[in-house]
Formats: sequence, C-alpha cells, structure tokens
Amino acid sequence: MTFSIARKEFQDTWRDGRFRWAAAIVLALLGVSFLLARQQVEHQRKEREEATKMERDNWLNQGRKNAHAAAHYGVYVFKPVAPLSVFDRGLQPFVGSTVYLEAHRQNQAAFLPAQDSTSMRRFGDLTAAACLQLLLPLLIILFAFGTLAGERESGTLRQALSLGVRPASLVFGKALGLAGALAALLVPVAAGGIYAFSGISGMDTTTDESWLRLALMACAYLLYLGAILAISLTVSALAPTSRSALSILLVFWAVNAVLAPRLASDLAQWSHPMPKLAELDAKLLEARKQALNSHNPNSPAMKEFIEKHRDASGKLPPNFRVLLMEESERQTNEVYEKHFGGIWDLLEAQDEVVTWGGLAAPLLGLRSASVALAGTDFTHHRHFSIAAEDHRREFIKMLNNSHGASGRELWERLPPFRYQPPSLSQAVSVAMPGLTILCLWLAGGCAALYFASRRLKPS
Amino acid sequence: MTTHIFFLELKMMARERAAWLLLTLFVGALGYGYRNGDQLAERNREAAETALQGSEELQSNIRRHLSKEGSAIPVGGRGGIAMVGFLAQLPPAPMPVLATGQSDLVPTSENVILMRLATPVGKRSEIENPSHLLAGRFDLAFVLTWLFPLFLLAFLYDLMAGDRETGTLRLALSQGISPVGWLCRRALARALPVVTLALAATALAGADELGLRLGAALAVVVIYGLFWATLAVAINSVANSAAAAAASLGAAWVAIVLVAPALLNLAAESLYPTPSRPELVAASRQASGEAEKLGDQLIDSFYKEHPELAPPDKRADYWAMKLTEQEEVARKVAPVLDKFENQLMRQQQTVGQWRFVSPAIVTHEALTDIAGTGYWRHQSFRKQVKEFKQDISDFYTPKAHRREPLVLADIEQMPTFSFVEEQDSEWLNRVARGLAGILAISALVGGWALFSLRPRRLGATTG
Repeated sequence: MTFSIARKEFQDTWRDGRFRWAAAIVLALLGVSFLLARQQVEHQRKEREEATKMERDNWLNQGRKNAHAAAHYGVYVFKPVAPLSVFDRGLQPFVGSTVYLEAHRQNQAAFLPAQDSTSMRRFGDLTAAACLQLLLPLLIILFAFGTLAGERESGTLRQALSLGVRPASLVFGKALGLAGALAALLVPVAAGGIYAFSGISGMDTTTDESWLRLALMACAYLLYLGAILAISLTVSALAPTSRSALSILLVFWAVNAVLAPRLASDLAQWSHPMPKLAELDAKLLEARKQALNSHNPNSPAMKEFIEKHRDASGKLPPNFRVLLMEESERQTNEVYEKHFGGIWDLLEAQDEVVTWGGLAAPLLGLRSASVALAGTDFTHHRHFSIAAEDHRREFIKMLNNSHGASGRELWERLPPFRYQPPSLSQAVSVAMPGLTILCLWLAGGCAALYFASRRLKPS
Repeated sequence: MTTHIFFLELKMMARERAAWLLLTLFVGALGYGYRNGDQLAERNREAAETALQGSEELQSNIRRHLSKEGSAIPVGGRGGIAMVGFLAQLPPAPMPVLATGQSDLVPTSENVILMRLATPVGKRSEIENPSHLLAGRFDLAFVLTWLFPLFLLAFLYDLMAGDRETGTLRLALSQGISPVGWLCRRALARALPVVTLALAATALAGADELGLRLGAALAVVVIYGLFWATLAVAINSVANSAAAAAASLGAAWVAIVLVAPALLNLAAESLYPTPSRPELVAASRQASGEAEKLGDQLIDSFYKEHPELAPPDKRADYWAMKLTEQEEVARKVAPVLDKFENQLMRQQQTVGQWRFVSPAIVTHEALTDIAGTGYWRHQSFRKQVKEFKQDISDFYTPKAHRREPLVLADIEQMPTFSFVEEQDSEWLNRVARGLAGILAISALVGGWALFSLRPRRLGATTG
C-alpha cells in the first residue's frame, strides 16, 4: 500500500505544471551557477599559476645582492584555488589569497576579493550551494505543505482512512512519493555537478581526494533536504489547514535561511568578542619592541644578547651575526604566533558557535559541513597561512645561513612554495559536527513524522 | 463608506492576535537592527578617532621638533620622513546606523608612506570573522530591505483571495463597493502599522541628521513599501485562494530579494571580470626588479629630465635612487591599476543600470548611499587617497633628491589629507533616479491590478 501511495504521489507531483516550472527555474539557476563557477575557478587557477611563475622568475632574477637584503625583498605566495569551490565558494571572497613573506615579519593573507567587488556582494553569491541551501528547501515546502493538510481540507483524507489505509502507510507513502520527485530533480543536478567538477581544465580532480569530499558533500545535502522534507510533511500532517501549514513552514524557512546565519554570527561575536585592530596593533608593536631586533643595536634585548655571547676576553663568536638573526627571527616568530594564533583561535571558536547553532537551524550545520568539505572554510585558510609561514621561516633560515653567498645560485636554493591542502580526514573531522547536526535533524524529522502519522486526524 | 472600510479593517486587525505577534516581532527586528548598526557605528567612530589621534600626535611631534632652533628632519635616512605613515582617513558616515554598507569590509583609513607609494599592500580593515562577513549584518538596512517586505506581505497576502475562496467576495461586491477602492483601502489599513514602525525606526536612525538625508531615507521606505503593497494588491486580484496568493508573493520575494541581486552580481562579474590581484602583485614586482637593475641608468635619465632636482654632487643617494625606481614601477604598473579600477567601475555601472530588475537592489543601494556607507563614497575615498599619494610624492621627492631636510617653513605646506564629501545633489540624484524607477515599476504592477479588477474580468474569477 505504501508503495502504491508513493507512486501516486510521485505521479501527481511530477505531472503538476507548477512543480515542473519551479523545478525548471531551480535547474536553470543551478546550471548557470555551475557553468560560471567553473569558468571562475579555471580563470583563478590560471591567473594564480601565472602569478606564481612570474614571482618565481622575479625571485631568481633579482640579481646579486646581500642575502639579508633578499630577505627584505621577500617573496609572494598565492593560495591555490580549491576545486570544490565550483559548488561552494564559502569564505573565499572574504579571505586573502596572497601572502608576502619577508624578514622579521609575519604578514596575513592580503587582497580580499570581496574588497574588489561591487556593492551587490552583500546580497550573496549565486552558487550551486546557495541554490541547494535556500531555493530547493523552498521548493520542497511549496509542494509538501498541502500534501496532507490539503487532503484533510478537501475531505479526501477521511475517505482514504475510511477505506482502511493505515495513517503511517499514507504518510510515509506520500513522503516516499515526494522524495522520489525530488530525487528525479536531483539527478540532473548531480550530472551537472559532476560535469562542472570533472572538466575543470588544468586541475586533476581524479587523483586526489576531491571525489570523496564531493560524495560526502552530496550526503550532507541529502541529509539536509531529507530533514526539510520530513519537517514539511510533519507540519502538513499536524496543521489544521493548508494555509496555516504554509505559514508555519514559510516562517521556518525565513528563520532558517535568512535570520539564523546573521543571528548566529552575532551570538558568536558576543560569546567570543574580537579585539579591535588598533588594540592588536598596539600589542604587537609593544611585543616586537621587547623582542630582539637585529636592526636595533640600542635595545635592551640586544645588549643582553651581546653580553650573553661575549666570551671571557670580551670577544663575540665569529658567527655572531647569524646567531643574532636567528634569535631575532625566533623571538619575532613567537610574538606573531601568540598574537595571530590568538585571533585565529577566536575565529575558530566563533565558527564553532555558529556550527552548533545548527541545532536550532539546520542550514548552519549544513553550511559548516559544506565549506569544510569544499575546502573553503576558515580551517583550510588557516592551514594555508601556517604553510606559508613555515615556508617563510625556511626561506629566512636558508638566507641567514648563506655564509656570504649571493646571486642566482643562492636564490635557487629556496624551493618553490608547494602547498598541500589538508587531508580528507582533517576536513571530515572539521565537518563532523555539522554532519552530526544534520543526522540529528533528519532523525528528529523522521521521528516527528512518525509521531504525526500516529496522530493523523481526518478532520 | 470610504473611511468606514479603512477603520473597519484597522479594527478587525486590532482583534487579531497574530497581527500583534507579527508587529511585536517586527519591532524586535527593527530594534535589534538599530542596536547592531549603532554598535558598529560606535566601533568605527572609535577606530577613526584613535587613528586621528595618532596622526595629530605625529603632526604635533614634527611641529615641536621643527620649532626648536636649527632643527630639521631629513627625508631619507634613519628617523627620516620617508618611512613615516601619513594618515588618510574617511570620516565617519553621516547616518551609519541606517546601513553598514561597505563599512565593515572596505578599510576607511590608509597610512601613506613615501617609500611605499608603489608597493602593492593589502588593505586592512577592522578584524572581522570572514564567516560573519559572508552571513551579512543584521542591521537596519537588512531589516528594511529583506524583512520589511516579508512582514508587509504577511499582513497583505489575503486582501481579496481569501474572500474569493470562501465566496464572501461576491457578497461584498454586491453591496456596490468599487473593488479597486475596497482593495486599496484594506491594503492601506493593513500596511499602515508596519510602514509606520519602519518609518519610526528610520527616523530614529537619522535623528542626528535631521535634513535631506533623513527625508530621503523616509521616502525610500515609503516607496519600497508602496511597491510591495501594489504587488500584493495585484496578486490578490488574480489569486484563487489565500494560500496561492501567499505562495505567489513568497516566490516574488525570493525572486526579487534573493535571486535577482545574486544574478545581477554574477552577470556584472562575468561581463567585466576584475583583473587578478596576484597578477597585479607579480607585475609590480617584475617592474620593481627591472627598475632596480636599471639603477644608475634610470637616475641619469631622471636627472637629464629634471636637472633642477639633481643634488650638488650629481650622485643620488639610496633614498633618491629608491624613489626614482619607485616612480618607474608606478609608471609601469599604472595601466594594470587603471584596468583594475575601470573594470570595477564598469561592474558597478552595470549594477547601477540594471538595478531596476529588483526594487530590493534599488532600496539597498539608496539606503547605503544615504547612510554614507555605499560604494560611491568609498570609491571617492580611494580616488582622493590616490591624489593624496601624488601630493606626498610631489612634496617630498624633490626634497629627497636635493637632500633638503624638512624645516619649520615647510610645515604649512606639508600635504595633509582632508576628505571632500560629494555634493548632496550627486547622491540625491542617484537616490531619486532609483526611487523613480521603483515608482514606475509600481505603476506597471498597479496597472496590471487595475486591469484584473475590471468588472468583466473580476466577474469571471468570482464565479
């Protein structure tokens, strides 16, 4: 019986002209977003590769100069584009993609793409993720709200139940039918997604873990859409009229999609307040003044360092200059590690609050899992920043120990920056809270639907 | 009869518990948006004050030092002016509580350093969580652009459709009431509380700016509200049931507020892609490397072109050399930078031309323009900073070449940054054109509603 009901519900939905129109619009938007996102990813990949090559040439051809002058000349490294940003750009527009590596100073990734964009940025991006997170749930709501409440209003629910149909069969049959219609809609979405992802020119998406990440992302979205379907049917089963079911579900959608992300961010900021830039700058400046600076011969730290290395005859060791620069770098690194690390910890703590806000609004759990798996979240950005900083330290160490050498031979000793993004297991561990929240929502939605089916009233 | 319908509707609404609940929620959203905007405005004001204090302190230190008998400050060398940062600060916006706009994303101050005029530096704004920037701010502009129509539609979605569904529409119209007049009065009565609250919050946000800006902000709220009310009337004139009307209005909201702006952004970015920053950085470094290699050759040709700047011994020191190289880098990178600025400008112009595809875009643009946190004020700031950099270069570079230190007589000529606000007529013109566009769209939607409410068509739909 359940399957007969499911088949009928599937056919009714599929034959509904409104469903076809709405589905066509959503598919068209998804198609546009896939194509343009692929173009953008290809474009960004190409420009960053070219910039990396140019920068390497600049470094190698800088001519003969003192090794420390070369350390001040520095190098720029560019963040590679995450292939899965085809689906979810996440934080990419709001974090820098270029890091300047130089002596004595750890710089943050600079040049936020959002700073180089129009005022429309505040309305959000049309990405495949946005379509699946915001528009598809709305489509589910619009086709599920009247499924049971509408039948009750028109009296057909009473007729069906009087024929001996079990309420649970009816409810789950309808759920299966709607899920089938939705699945039919998701087939072209998946095909479009695979096409967009697999064909990114210049990116080998077959050999890395990207496909596994993609599969997990698909699971996260299925969990989310399944939960929305279960909630919509539950409301339709319990609401007295289809009108009230629609009102409740639209309020739920608005809270989940429009209000929750902003409110959760405010809550995160309130629970883990961020210091002001001027305060951070002042603290950094003070800490750097206290630290040993190889360019400041009159500082107390320098005098102490000299005294420490003077031997009994008052002479300094022959490699004193190298020791000084190494110690100066070590102390400066500690200062930056402490201050930037503190800010990064705060940002991650804030993101954690937003993720757990997913217990109140499932979209927050989904977003957290989606950006983590796509490699466009803050944890991935931090990973890149740390890798860039490690490269800087290696670069400075190499120059400090150059023993007077200079020129191309020395510059070639610095290997090019090759960034290896976090492994799948690291990404999954970051995505896990979001995925857990989505599982809870789906389980809760199914339990609520079961409960609603037992309380299904014909009028 | 005319006022009777209006007051009757108000009375009926006053008896609905749901209406009070909705109004309470709207007041809460407005209050929260106001508070958030106020906090951010305070933070930005404090940051601007701190930066200005630092700058004033620097100026007075320079003045004090130069006032001493026989004192001078060299341009180059240790303690020289060449590595000092001169502050360019965008003053706090005139109505910051109304809209955050770009103020949490785009920096409002920059330290201009003589030796770094051509160095690609990332702009630093206050520390913000990127996730927070992605989610957007819950400010008054968000409430007025996104939520105000939703609350309005919650009151207006069932003006006539429900009556048609239950059959009471035939009864009402048989009393000889004009359907247009009946619908409009009901719409006016039901929209009144929501619009009044929105206007009150806007007035509160502009309490310090009682004038043109406040008047414009209030006009934006009224006209945006009018658009949504007209749309609700039009949908009601054709919808067969309240649920169908609600679904159609919900879909219209999604299309106008969510989809159209995102599509327009995508179209602008695809039509005029912004050149790559990494490429700009690499190009600037390449130019810098080439200039460094040219070295003496560059300085020789510079002194041939500017013999008046040549030092007495005709030998440039480190600082003069670096400044000449910097000038060469700036000259080479200028076309790339211009392309960058032009593409961005074209993107924004595309947005300006096509903003009428969505009244939500027009409203948001207008609110940020009025608040002083919009694209154009920040763009003007960037332009003026560029001019300030040129002033700094023009003033100090000749001194660096001639090895002339800064003396007390120079203090009044030292370039300082002072932001020149655009004329009221400029922002007002942009806002007025936007509002005229919304009015024209509302007139079209209203025309459709009038057409649907003609007796013959209405007779067909009432059955």
